[in-house]
Amino acid sequence: MSQDLRQDSNPAAAETGLHEKGLSKGTVGVMGLVVIGISSIAPAYTLTAGLGATVAEVGTSLPAILLAGFLPMLLVALGYRELNNAMPDSGTSFTWATRAFGPMIGWMGGWGLVAATVIVLSNLAAVAVDFFYILLAQLTGHDEIAELTTNLWINIPTTLIFIAVAAFISYRGMNATKVFQYGLVAFQVAVLLLFAVMSFTSNQPFDRTPITLEMFNPAGVESFSAFAAGISLSIFVFWGWDVTLTMNEETTDPKKVPGRGATWTVLLIMALYVAVSLGVLYWAGVGTTGLGAGNPENQESIFAVLSGPVMGPLALLMSLAILSSSAASLQSTMVSPARTLLAMGYYKALPTSFAKISPRFMSPSVATFVTAAAAAVFYVVTRLVSENALWDTITALGLMICFYYGLTALACVWYFRAELFSSARNVIFKFLAPLIGGVVLLVLFFATAFESMDPDYGSGSNIGGVGMVFILGVGVLLLGVVVMIYMRITQPSFFKGETIKTYKPIK
Amino acid sequence: MKLLVGYTAEERGAEAIELASALVASTPDASLHIAIVLPAAAPFSAVYPGGDHGYSTILSAQVDQWAKHALTLVPEGIQASVVARSVSSVAEGLISLAQQVDADGIVLGGRKRHRAGFFMPGAIANALLHSSPVSVFMSSPTAIETLRAANGKLTRLTAFVGDRPGAKDVIELSAQIATACAVPLRVATLVLPYDVQDPDRDLDAHVQATSDYLSQLTASMELDATIDVVVGRNLDEATGQLSWQDGDLALLGSARLAAARRLFIGPKAQRILGKLSVPMGVIPNPGSGN
Repeated sequence: MSQDLRQDSNPAAAETGLHEKGLSKGTVGVMGLVVIGISSIAPAYTLTAGLGATVAEVGTSLPAILLAGFLPMLLVALGYRELNNAMPDSGTSFTWATRAFGPMIGWMGGWGLVAATVIVLSNLAAVAVDFFYILLAQLTGHDEIAELTTNLWINIPTTLIFIAVAAFISYRGMNATKVFQYGLVAFQVAVLLLFAVMSFTSNQPFDRTPITLEMFNPAGVESFSAFAAGISLSIFVFWGWDVTLTMNEETTDPKKVPGRGATWTVLLIMALYVAVSLGVLYWAGVGTTGLGAGNPENQESIFAVLSGPVMGPLALLMSLAILSSSAASLQSTMVSPARTLLAMGYYKALPTSFAKISPRFMSPSVATFVTAAAAAVFYVVTRLVSENALWDTITALGLMICFYYGLTALACVWYFRAELFSSARNVIFKFLAPLIGGVVLLVLFFATAFESMDPDYGSGSNIGGVGMVFILGVGVLLLGVVVMIYMRITQPSFFKGETIKTYKPIK
Repeated sequence: MKLLVGYTAEERGAEAIELASALVASTPDASLHIAIVLPAAAPFSAVYPGGDHGYSTILSAQVDQWAKHALTLVPEGIQASVVARSVSSVAEGLISLAQQVDADGIVLGGRKRHRAGFFMPGAIANALLHSSPVSVFMSSPTAIETLRAANGKLTRLTAFVGDRPGAKDVIELSAQIATACAVPLRVATLVLPYDVQDPDRDLDAHVQATSDYLSQLTASMELDATIDVVVGRNLDEATGQLSWQDGDLALLGSARLAAARRLFIGPKAQRILGKLSVPMGVIPNPGSGN
């Protein structure tokens, strides 16, 4: 990223942007990519947040659903990779969907991504705070400290502080280093494996449930709606994996490293998930009482309940792993919605102040603070109105991921519509994979959205007889439609296609 | 004279250009290289989800805009160019750019920050003050005010020296800059009571001796410089005794523990810097055998 502008030379030189990515040479090898992939997935966090809710839907078929959930993710990620290769500089659902489908759908694609990340930010912060107090309790030996997190007067301010600190770090443009990421990932994986081993070797499991092959059969799930909900949750647990496919120039060998890195990442993650979920099923069973994984009391944060009984004093390590993984993800995930909001401001889809970049830190300024504020507001509202905020936000998040992922996958098919059948490779990667993946995710989205209107859905919280998950998920999307209409009236240039041209294939 | 300006697109960047312009204005071959440094890519903090989000494209457009604006801040008659570069450390990046374009110095706009009564230069200025191979010039809003009061022109250079060996080098380098800028040179020394064994008896004589020594030194170097010896109970008070005029620029030498031809600011110089309200520069150790 180097340029020279001379006052005395051709002024057109000023127009040449910094279009190279500024990476002299890729430095990330297969091992590094696996570390990046696992750190983006943040398995310690996703398992504690997602495992309980998934068990609630699918019971002992947990391993099967975890494996099946990877398929739509894989299909969509393949489409992502094609879009990323075709438009490496825009790299976001917002611009991709706008180029393919035009401004309105593109706007909603951007909104979907921002909403999903804002929801996950609030959940990450909440999980980090829970385990912060659990860790304090374990360190000091005063169990009552862990209970502090249930006091809203303590919980909400602490969470807001966590969000504010993460926003500040990301505004200052501080980055995680290689050593930090390697350490964090190694620690997470080691602690999760330790949990799995200890649950199998435990002398007195709470509800010893034998491991059967039936647990790996996706058809064993009782109903389609449970299956759909389970899949949309397990997409959440793989969310982050696709980063390995979209890294190209950063790698030492763009032809080989991304493919190998992505494969190793998913194999490792699947092995880890299967080991931990089998461990949970074996030790706790799916019973709805006591320490059973089916007990709604345990479902919002499974390790908060199980790590103590299973691991004894070593539960301290689990708390540390989850706290560090969720706090690190909180900071790194903050960058993503901020950049999409910045892009939306820059292309005039949002007020232009969103496009402000800090001249000192070279990071989005307004967009970062709006992101943090949105995550804070979302958290406070959910915490106040829902009996089981973490659970409901995770389910709403699954819904949101299905929405913007599905939309982006279809954008891939439509964007490449002129060349879909020009080669066998295109048929697979630009047509079949994203089409099937996109349709599956959108079907899951509508199915889960419909189901979630039921007041008993998710944690069972409801407003006026409508399920909380529906209000959170669909409500946020409808809010997006309102904001979009407002923007269209007050600042129409984006919607007239003046800032991003919708792509039309040359006939 | 050729200077590298560490530019950020806000007041402090504009102030840096103002100071740099004043420094080079009346020198032959006046030119400014305005550097906009960007953070280096950090692949291990991958942005997820969604990758780059078009950020590098938008950032580059923004940098183009900043670059154009920066060029409009440079007065007529000074050649200026902008270079934007990703660097892993801002200070190192500025040093390597300065070496690449063979700049005579690096100019930063800054803010004074006081912590527990001590002047703390910003992190970047601080790193430069401890490693730069070329002179480092710094401004602050109050310093720029004094420059503006002199219509943006330098009117005098004030070189701070001690009575130790090394004073000659500082005077020599300062005189070169003063000649290039076509402004008179003042040599200032701070005398503190504990410089002598019995202040009541010896202080006046010491002041006189220092003054004589510096007069002889400058005379032997065939320089036309005024000598200013001020006394104070401590460094702060002595610095406060010195009179300043609009358009003054203070120059300090590197500490003796600086590596040859490197800059390393000592605690004393740092203390003085904190008291000054004029633009200032720190010049590197000329190096032995050179």
